[in-house]
Amino acid sequence: MTKLLAPLVGDAPTVTFIGLCKNAGKTTAMCRLIRELEGEVLAMTSVGRDGERTDVVTGTEKPEIWVPSGTLFATARGMLPLCDTTLVVEGLTDVMTPLGVVGIFRALSDGYIQLAGPSAVGQLAPLSRRFRAMGAERVLIDGAAGRKSLAGAEPGACAILCVGASMDGGIPAIVGETAHTCGLFATREPEEAGLRTALAGADRYALFTLSGEALELPLQEGGTPNWQELPREKCVLWVGGGVTGPLLRTLARRGAPIVVAAPDATHFLMDRAAMELFQRCGGELLVRQSLTISAVTANPWSAYGKHLDGPALLSALREAVEVPVVDVRAEDE
Amino acid sequence: MKLNAQLKEDTGYSWVMARMEPASPFGHALVRSPHWYGPGEKDALEAELSRVEQLREEMDRDGSRTDALIHILSEFHDIRNSLKRPTSAPMDEVELFEVKHFLIHLERLAQAYAQIRPLEGLTIRSMDKALALLDPSGRRLPAFSVEVAFEPALERVREEKALVENALRQTEKKGQKDLMARRRELVLKEDRLELEARKRLTMALIREKDAFLEAMDAIGRLDLLLAKAKLARRFYCCRPQVTGDIRVEAVDLVQPEVAEHLQERGGSFTPVSITLERGATVITGANMGGKSVSMKSVTLGILLTQTGYFTFAGSFSTPLFDSVSLICTDRQSVEQGLSSFGAEVAALGDVLREEKGKFFYVALDEFARGTNPQEGAALARALVEYLDRLDCVALMTTHYDGVSEAARRHYRVAGLGALDTAAIRKGEAPLDRLSRLMDYHLVEAEPGEPCPRDALRVCRLLDLEPELMEIFSKNS
Repeated sequence: MTKLLAPLVGDAPTVTFIGLCKNAGKTTAMCRLIRELEGEVLAMTSVGRDGERTDVVTGTEKPEIWVPSGTLFATARGMLPLCDTTLVVEGLTDVMTPLGVVGIFRALSDGYIQLAGPSAVGQLAPLSRRFRAMGAERVLIDGAAGRKSLAGAEPGACAILCVGASMDGGIPAIVGETAHTCGLFATREPEEAGLRTALAGADRYALFTLSGEALELPLQEGGTPNWQELPREKCVLWVGGGVTGPLLRTLARRGAPIVVAAPDATHFLMDRAAMELFQRCGGELLVRQSLTISAVTANPWSAYGKHLDGPALLSALREAVEVPVVDVRAEDE
Repeated sequence: MKLNAQLKEDTGYSWVMARMEPASPFGHALVRSPHWYGPGEKDALEAELSRVEQLREEMDRDGSRTDALIHILSEFHDIRNSLKRPTSAPMDEVELFEVKHFLIHLERLAQAYAQIRPLEGLTIRSMDKALALLDPSGRRLPAFSVEVAFEPALERVREEKALVENALRQTEKKGQKDLMARRRELVLKEDRLELEARKRLTMALIREKDAFLEAMDAIGRLDLLLAKAKLARRFYCCRPQVTGDIRVEAVDLVQPEVAEHLQERGGSFTPVSITLERGATVITGANMGGKSVSMKSVTLGILLTQTGYFTFAGSFSTPLFDSVSLICTDRQSVEQGLSSFGAEVAALGDVLREEKGKFFYVALDEFARGTNPQEGAALARALVEYLDRLDCVALMTTHYDGVSEAARRHYRVAGLGALDTAAIRKGEAPLDRLSRLMDYHLVEAEPGEPCPRDALRVCRLLDLEPELMEIFSKNS
């Protein structure tokens, strides 16, 4: 088998699969990488539920995840009847899901597994640590359905961006959205050492000067920042949760430049138009931890029957982004 | 008696419970639903208090052994739901993992418990038979899987499956179909065998259900005792004396919640000493003089004693009551449309009706203050006389004259005494000034001794409008 993804992810300790839409081919890409990484002790989980044979939301056929013996995986207890490897329960996490507690299992044979892991970002990092303590050499995370998952980045972590035809608007829309996302992931970490240190300790919201000195953040009664009272001179606003379109629009409408810093690029949830407006008004973005997109995979098969021209999609994507674009399915057959 | 949320909140019992730190879910459950030691349970209560005392001494001597116990207790998960099942429904791997985890930790707890002097009436036994069942190798590893040891037929199926899976690895995608079909058969066979094994294990475990429940009860009780002992150490609590006499005697009593607030503001709590006898005891005194706090402290002491806790006092003794009530302005009833007077009267009516013929304790905070002073005073006095005829101990605070005349005992807050105006420091916050000058001690007073006239001075210390004060002092 030709190794398509393994060389692109290199020795990244964690690989997160991010989908731009449902049926973007995240699981297909993940299965491919699992086979390409044969011989490594892998650990895997998903953000929320994934890996079902039939997609619960859209009812379309979905590939299952085939893992080699020795693989560690974290999934909800309710998924066990759907896993056909011989397995051992290694431990339990304190993550509860509608499908039961998330346990940590080790496959004692090859076989299919079903993933339904934690849905909160904060729960992934401790899980990764436990995986490593149990001997995992690399952690794979199947991101949640939707545009992007809030998968927390670790130093050296990389992401694989999966795009598919299930998105409305045909090739131009897909390509535009992919380029926008790749652009967001290219967001840099701060160069100022002071600001780096300041961001390392920041929590939900915080305000700093460009060199990292703490500023007082004007708050409303409910405890949320009062955006209209932010200083007029350029400063750094730390947002620990999702950076949304409405937030950027509000900041842009102030008419004063500002830098918005987030934990990593998966926290940027804004649409293209909001991003452009924000940048036109002098806004900039920073991340505490940069997260590289190592590859873009394309799936021309739509969940809703409107298949796209595969080669045309690939070449349009290749023209629009600098990251390698891979057709996981075509090259597999 | 069941402690209701209002009573727990009003007396500070909730505040104390919030500082209890049981380590296991079983201990938590016991803290949430405390056992009430009623009049017939003096011996059981004394035994419980002795266990707390013994653990406290153990902690004083050398905390390492009790720390080890607490550490093991923190590892337990609640597996009661796994045991509440029809035997036909087998436990899944996660449940069996949990049961094994429970049994391994129970064994460790029993070993650690053997290191301390045994507590009377509390045994922690490991469940060797059940543990041997889930851990046939005896290696005590936390992981659980349906091992070949549970079902020897699994060995062959798994070996064969491994061969097929190995062949699959070597085969191109096109040729995999037959192998996958063969694997599917083996997976189904393996599943069936595993299910059988799980069924047998479940049945064997369910047979031990009573032993499991007993063990969980013992774990919970040990956890609760350790948490009680820790609490007693942290707040320097005393072991209460349970008496046969109808007499509540508190020396240097502290209300810990108020004490903490005061400490945060740089002040300190003045401990109170008080003795109550059969019938009503009345506390009078200045506004802001701590009457209600004293009353709540006594009530808290009784609640803690009768639920097997040490008390926040230098010494505390009480008989065991059938029930304890506290009647004060209940914000909730007032919100529901009752006047504060109406709410009090309704609450009193409930207590008198329900506790008729029983031995009870009731505390009343400025009873009947919400109605006109003449009738209010008469009603309060009537109540004191009536309570005197009942089998109860009552404590009442009041501003009304004449009420203490009918009481068994009368205390008054030492209060502001002869206030020296020179003591008023400029720039001091009014509340700080008041608490600096107020003497919160309770002093025994003669029955019928009139209530102190301190409102004027309290208002002055609280910086009330000078013009209003002028009219007030002219009129009074």
